[in-house]
Amino acid sequence: MCGIFGITGQSEGLVSNLMAGLSKVEYRGYDSAGICVSRPEGLDLKRAEGVLDNLKELVTDMEEGHCGIAHTRWATHGPPTEANAHPHCDPQFRVAVVHNGIIENEVQLRQVLIEATSNDCFKSETDTELVAHVLAQEIDAECGDEIPDDDQLLASWRRSLDRFVGSFSLAAVVKGREDVILVARSFSPLILAFNDAGYLASDTVQLIGMVEDVYYIKDGDWGLLRKDGMELFDSDGEPVVRESTAIQWNEEDAELGGWPTFMLKEINEQPGVIRSCLQGRLSRDFLRGVKISSKPELVRIIACGTAFHAGMMTRHYIEELSGIPCIVDHAHEFRYGTPAGPKALVLGISQSGETADTLAGLMAAQERGYPTLSIVNRESSTIARQSDSILGIRAGHEQSVASTKAFTGQVLGGLLVALRLGRLNNKVRSEELAVINNAARRFPNAMERLLASSQLEKGLKRARRLFHNQEHAFFLGRNSSYPIALEGALKLKEISYIHAEGYAGGELKHGPLALIEDGTPVVVISSEGIIQQKLFGNAREVAARGARVIMIAVEGDVEASAHADVVITVPKTHQLLQPIMHNVVCQLLAYHVALDRDCDVDRPRNLAKSVTVE
Amino acid sequence: MLAAGRGSRLGGLTDSRSKVMLPVAGKPIIEWLLKEMVDAGIKQATIVHGYAGARILSSLGSGKALGIDLDFVEQSSPHGTLGAALDALNNLPLDEDVLILNGDNIVSSSAIRRLLDAEGPCLLIAEHENPHEFGVVTLNGNMVAAIQEKPSIHESIGRVVSTGALRCPVIWREVFEKTVKVGLVGIPDAIRNLLDDEVEIEAIRTDTWVDVDHPWDLIDMNATLLNGIEHHISEDAEVHPSAVIRGVVHISENVVIHPGTVIEGPVHIGPDCEIGPMAVITGSTTVGAGTRIGPFSRIRSSFLMEDVQIDSGTWLQRSVIGPATVLRSHVHVDVGETQKIGDSGEFIVRRLGLVTGEACTIGHGVVSAPGTILGSQVLIGRRARISGEHPSGSDIQSGGV
Repeated sequence: MCGIFGITGQSEGLVSNLMAGLSKVEYRGYDSAGICVSRPEGLDLKRAEGVLDNLKELVTDMEEGHCGIAHTRWATHGPPTEANAHPHCDPQFRVAVVHNGIIENEVQLRQVLIEATSNDCFKSETDTELVAHVLAQEIDAECGDEIPDDDQLLASWRRSLDRFVGSFSLAAVVKGREDVILVARSFSPLILAFNDAGYLASDTVQLIGMVEDVYYIKDGDWGLLRKDGMELFDSDGEPVVRESTAIQWNEEDAELGGWPTFMLKEINEQPGVIRSCLQGRLSRDFLRGVKISSKPELVRIIACGTAFHAGMMTRHYIEELSGIPCIVDHAHEFRYGTPAGPKALVLGISQSGETADTLAGLMAAQERGYPTLSIVNRESSTIARQSDSILGIRAGHEQSVASTKAFTGQVLGGLLVALRLGRLNNKVRSEELAVINNAARRFPNAMERLLASSQLEKGLKRARRLFHNQEHAFFLGRNSSYPIALEGALKLKEISYIHAEGYAGGELKHGPLALIEDGTPVVVISSEGIIQQKLFGNAREVAARGARVIMIAVEGDVEASAHADVVITVPKTHQLLQPIMHNVVCQLLAYHVALDRDCDVDRPRNLAKSVTVE
Repeated sequence: MLAAGRGSRLGGLTDSRSKVMLPVAGKPIIEWLLKEMVDAGIKQATIVHGYAGARILSSLGSGKALGIDLDFVEQSSPHGTLGAALDALNNLPLDEDVLILNGDNIVSSSAIRRLLDAEGPCLLIAEHENPHEFGVVTLNGNMVAAIQEKPSIHESIGRVVSTGALRCPVIWREVFEKTVKVGLVGIPDAIRNLLDDEVEIEAIRTDTWVDVDHPWDLIDMNATLLNGIEHHISEDAEVHPSAVIRGVVHISENVVIHPGTVIEGPVHIGPDCEIGPMAVITGSTTVGAGTRIGPFSRIRSSFLMEDVQIDSGTWLQRSVIGPATVLRSHVHVDVGETQKIGDSGEFIVRRLGLVTGEACTIGHGVVSAPGTILGSQVLIGRRARISGEHPSGSDIQSGGV
């Protein structure tokens, strides 16, 4: 949440480059945005409430410079107004700061600063403004009105940072020093890079096409960024050198091309995600590249949001394939909860690998002495680096706030982990693995067939009409399709703002049935065998109370149409993979319902991707 | 560039993608054409998509990687190629000239350049052995005198046909609109109207035109395009030292070539394939991404799409195998002459093996007669003998048909 960007030593096109870097992380927040260009005569600040396009209008004739910082905000402290937009300055406009994260000792700091100056010295309600005030004070203490040299800058930056508690990535420009940007990282992501200019960013995707290699600096690192390098120190103040990593993704990943939205683009990328996620890992009758050293007695999965639903699918796989019991927790609940149990493997799932709650949960697990494994999309992320071992899902950059292709990758990652555990526990024989492998090889093609099918298009057209003027909807599943019901409801909530709940079919009579009214849309996600019959029963129960039933079933399921107003069929695949196929229909349904309601699917209100605050 | 049609004569091969997206010789047909356009100096193109357009958008992106600036229009009207052309022309300034190309066949960069260099409106023409399947052009000197769309097989005609590549002023869209209004949907129909109004259209001849109409045309297009690949073995490929690689062979990343395998180019092997041990792949063969070819299998002059699985001891030549299709061990594909029915009547196809759609399963020991054509998800039981054409979803058990 919140995206930052900065450049120093840019010879030309600074403003447009800052805006380009910012546009790539708009998914991290779009409440307000701002940029600050540092010039010898002073700091030039432009900020605007709302989406980035509002700022774009403001900066069209902005004077160029060589050094600047930029920010796009997801509001934590104070409403999304221009006054609360970053960058923030001290009263004398000597420094400007952008910040991702939360300063936890904000209240105490504010008190101290008010005592030292006055209450009206603050222009915003943000914690970030305090950083600007503190830094300006420290610079003043170091060199008065003089322009600080490198040593003075570093000394005042160090003393400032010592006063902040919390999670933050910070970048600051100082009047008179266009050659450097002060940087610091504690918990929140910060990436540095340089070629002919120095760059700092929240996300690698901002730097694609600008540099080839990036530096993922470590927690506690702080220092100076220049056009041709960086001077970094660790939290003890010792100089450190960090290794660079080549950027893996290409420019197309972060661009729309001919697509109307990133969400639709990413939904359609899923067949490719399946191929790359399984490539080299599930081969003939063996598994490769999934490292679990010893057999655990319990698996505890921690995740949030969509990844939590992927975790629930993973639990289904693990218990079915390995017989090892498994608990799924929201990472934020796990973190402050009880110990992880005997000989447990703690499995974290996060797309960005920066999710603050999941990271904290994994670190808490490590402190308690449990081995950690994480399923991430970004193998260079903080969670990936902190975990004992990782499984990268290779889904490529996901830009849409509503996660689609990463979910598919996470579920497949979960399946691979479950298969490995099944092998360790001697529950999965190589013949079974070969059967799953054969099905998995045909799976991308089957999904491609689904995505191109006119039957799907027609089904969606009929289904979306049932959501017209509805404010509530339900998704029902059972067993392996229950997590898909939860995920389907989440997608609908996130982007269409229709209140949606996912329920296990068996839970219906224990409460939610009371909410079914005439016309309430209920999406039933079919399952296998006997469970299928039970779900048909649930469909009949809601239909009898006036609900409009949309059934997602496999091709050739003749019975399904008897229990539904609309049936959308999908190609049949292996039962372990079938829920992923059903989920694609839920994604597209949510997408089209949101379009019908004129919602901005790539920028759902109040949300942001990569939740780096607790 | 017109890329909205399905290519329904290709049967199951176009179940999940349009014809322009068939990955011949390692990349979609439309990309081969875009490459020729870039080589001819074209900087910007509008692609009109329709059927399975998502595949086109996913594959081409903004065009940056190909060196061309692309934008995309979804075909809004059902009026065939003329409707598709209109969708693109509606966004262009009236005082300019435009080049209209079909995304599903390949014209060379030199031919494109000649269209660009011409004085005024011009149509690219070529000779074809089955002219009755196309728009047949009558010439007057080097000007187009008449055009006749798919004449009956009994009519005596020349061999000169329209490739569909046309350079014309954007203002012709008014004629296109009029033609659509009277219910005609092809560009040749509009050209006929223009000729009636005595508009002059120059005919420019090419001899490097590659078109795909029927599945077997893919085998020839594959052979032609494979002549344009370069020898390359990816650093991320694992080729056993005992494997023999001869001629122009492209081996993509993460490919594993097991011991004793022989590959004689031109052959293109897509990423993530696993081949051998002791497999033999020769002359003009494309092996699609993620394909697996087992021991002692022999493949010649064939086009294998992605995620195909061929078990051991199979003999395959002059065939087109759809994605995610499985050929169990000891499948034997006979090759020979076969009679097929086109729009204009019957004609002979020389040397054709097997054509399958998507996700077929051909059982152990199946013998396929020349020219067998299967739809998608066809199941052939072990030891069956197959011939003729079978629609999608057929289930043929041993004994054969």
